[in-house]
Amino acid sequence: MNSIIALSLFGIANLFLGFLNNRKILMPATLAFILFALGLNLADWNTEVLWFNNMLRTNNLSVNFTTVILVATLLVVAISRGFGDDEEHSHPAEYYAIMLFSVVGAIMMVTFENLLMLFIGLEILSVSMYVLTGSDKRNLRSNEAALKYFLMGAFATGILLFGVALVYGATGSFSIYGIGNFVTENRMGQSEITPMLYVGILLIIIGLLFKVSAAPFHFWTPDVYEGAPTIFTAFMSTVVKTAGFAALYRLLSVSFVGEYGKWVYLLYFLCAATLIIANITAVYQQSFKRMMAFSSISHAGYLLMTVTSNQATTQSSILFYSLAYSIATVTAFAVMILVSENKTSNGKPDESFDAFKGLAKNNPLLAFALAVSMLSLAGIPLTAGFWGKFFIFSDAFKRGLILDLIVAVLMSAVGVYYYFKPIIASYMKEGNIQEITIKPIYKLTLIITTILTILLGLMPDLVKSIF
Amino acid sequence: MQQIPDVIRQIPLNYYVFFSAALFCIGVTGVLTRRNAIIIFMSVELMLNAVNLLLAAFSSYKADPAGQIFVFFIMAVAAAEVAVGLAIIVMIYRNIQTIDTGILNKLKW
Amino acid sequence: MNYQPSDYLPILVQLGAAIAFIVATMLATHWLGPKRHSKLKDDVFECGIESIGDARTPISVKYFLVAILFVLFDVEIIFMYPWAVNFKALGWDGFMEMIVFMGLLLLGFIYVIKKGVLKWEK
Repeated sequence: MNSIIALSLFGIANLFLGFLNNRKILMPATLAFILFALGLNLADWNTEVLWFNNMLRTNNLSVNFTTVILVATLLVVAISRGFGDDEEHSHPAEYYAIMLFSVVGAIMMVTFENLLMLFIGLEILSVSMYVLTGSDKRNLRSNEAALKYFLMGAFATGILLFGVALVYGATGSFSIYGIGNFVTENRMGQSEITPMLYVGILLIIIGLLFKVSAAPFHFWTPDVYEGAPTIFTAFMSTVVKTAGFAALYRLLSVSFVGEYGKWVYLLYFLCAATLIIANITAVYQQSFKRMMAFSSISHAGYLLMTVTSNQATTQSSILFYSLAYSIATVTAFAVMILVSENKTSNGKPDESFDAFKGLAKNNPLLAFALAVSMLSLAGIPLTAGFWGKFFIFSDAFKRGLILDLIVAVLMSAVGVYYYFKPIIASYMKEGNIQEITIKPIYKLTLIITTILTILLGLMPDLVKSIF
Repeated sequence: MQQIPDVIRQIPLNYYVFFSAALFCIGVTGVLTRRNAIIIFMSVELMLNAVNLLLAAFSSYKADPAGQIFVFFIMAVAAAEVAVGLAIIVMIYRNIQTIDTGILNKLKW
Repeated sequence: MNYQPSDYLPILVQLGAAIAFIVATMLATHWLGPKRHSKLKDDVFECGIESIGDARTPISVKYFLVAILFVLFDVEIIFMYPWAVNFKALGWDGFMEMIVFMGLLLLGFIYVIKKGVLKWEK
């Protein structure tokens, strides 16, 4: 909770740091800010406090989610670079500030106690992301991605809000526990049932599924991920997804758990649809970035599965999966930024799988980091991703979501195929990539994320016991 | 003088719900069928206004100010969204001199 | 007091009358007025100069920035209404919160000025 205030102030501080004619200090300052916020966040451990007239709640769950979000942001900021290269058109201070602001939104989405805060947090996060998506102003693809993201996002917000209004009309409360009590009483037959409630729940779920890009509301995702500057794609696919699923889980498990028998079927089929559509489409992609976009949709499908199962262990499964997924995704994008900047085709960064050809010969570290992250995303044992999938599958098994389980196992096998494409390209194919010079902090980040992925793969209890 | 909530309550609640739902549907239809970014944008605003109306109606029927406060926040956030949205549209207009979404096919839809 | 839907009939009548009046006047002027076309008559207004190009020329982006900033700062006023209405009830706590809010807005404004957005001649 204190981290929200701190990050807001740091964001403003960052804006004013931009007026100093020294762009070198921006990144270290942002890293320091995030670390400080992380410290403040961890100080809330083992406290259960309601803030601002029951608007926000901090407890261990929210602290965990906030930690995952802040770690992901930290990694993304650590691999960020190149804002300062083009002197005229870049505003590095603003980009870092907007990233901090959007993290504030994400934290509000995991700590909310009132639907008002969910809405505000969602909007802070989304509006920041629209700006960051379009930050490459001269690039038409970035422009188009920003417009699509904006129109789709605003549309989803409208749907979500209509759902909120209907739920308010049916239950008379915005507090998630107030709604939860009403819905439970509803089940007991103590208050009148209105169809308004069901429509409201449906619309809220649709609005949130838009934001986390689950099928059939995923159409904007590949375009936006491909068009946005890669560094912000990494940010989008980690932080936004984690925050979105935290919000979805909290809403469904606290407010609407009384109507579990109603919404479970919706999510049950959407989960299977998401997994099938995302994985099958990802196979046909030529661009690595677009493949990662479909991969992020498919991971939304896996996360949706544990949300659907709604077990007591769901929250720790989401947390572990988000952490493993965020680390691996950031590593993959970090390698991609280096490789694609190094190798351009037609004056644009080459983002296809071919760009990775022969990477291992002169850049063993990059190739190894890429391989580990891909293995983790595919869910191969001895990586963090395997345990993430394992926990999610066991949740689904406990609930008996057999169709989803079968689909998920099949689609994981499909996933192995396309995740191995860049590995094969970098280790087996011939190519001429010279040694790429890497800044020390960049190298350090890659090493840390790779070690973390393997460490969590060997000893998942290291963090699973905390979550 | 009658209090405003009393005036609002003179019309049955269902009418507000149906009216807002109709407005909302018009907005959704606009978003889905129109090609001009500005008009899509206006349709989204229409959806938000349908929500505002509904919240205000519920709020006065339940004699609970929380709904109206929510309306305030929706308005303020919508203004911020308008600012960013128009900025994106102006940015695109500068590059390609049109705001027709059909032109934007660099990325497959 | 409870209104029935039928009580709204006068509004409907009023609406019909208004539309009928507009349609009637438009039709009447169309029929009654004489129509003479000549090159001179269809020309642009006498004291005007020949119009060139499209009327919808893009205007300077500075107008846009100022307009957007106006919208942003203007809308924040709505948060002051509930506070102003409950000024006494909220007391010093409410006052301090409003100070924080306005302070944040002020920081944003200082940022805008330092960034040079409001500099008209650059």
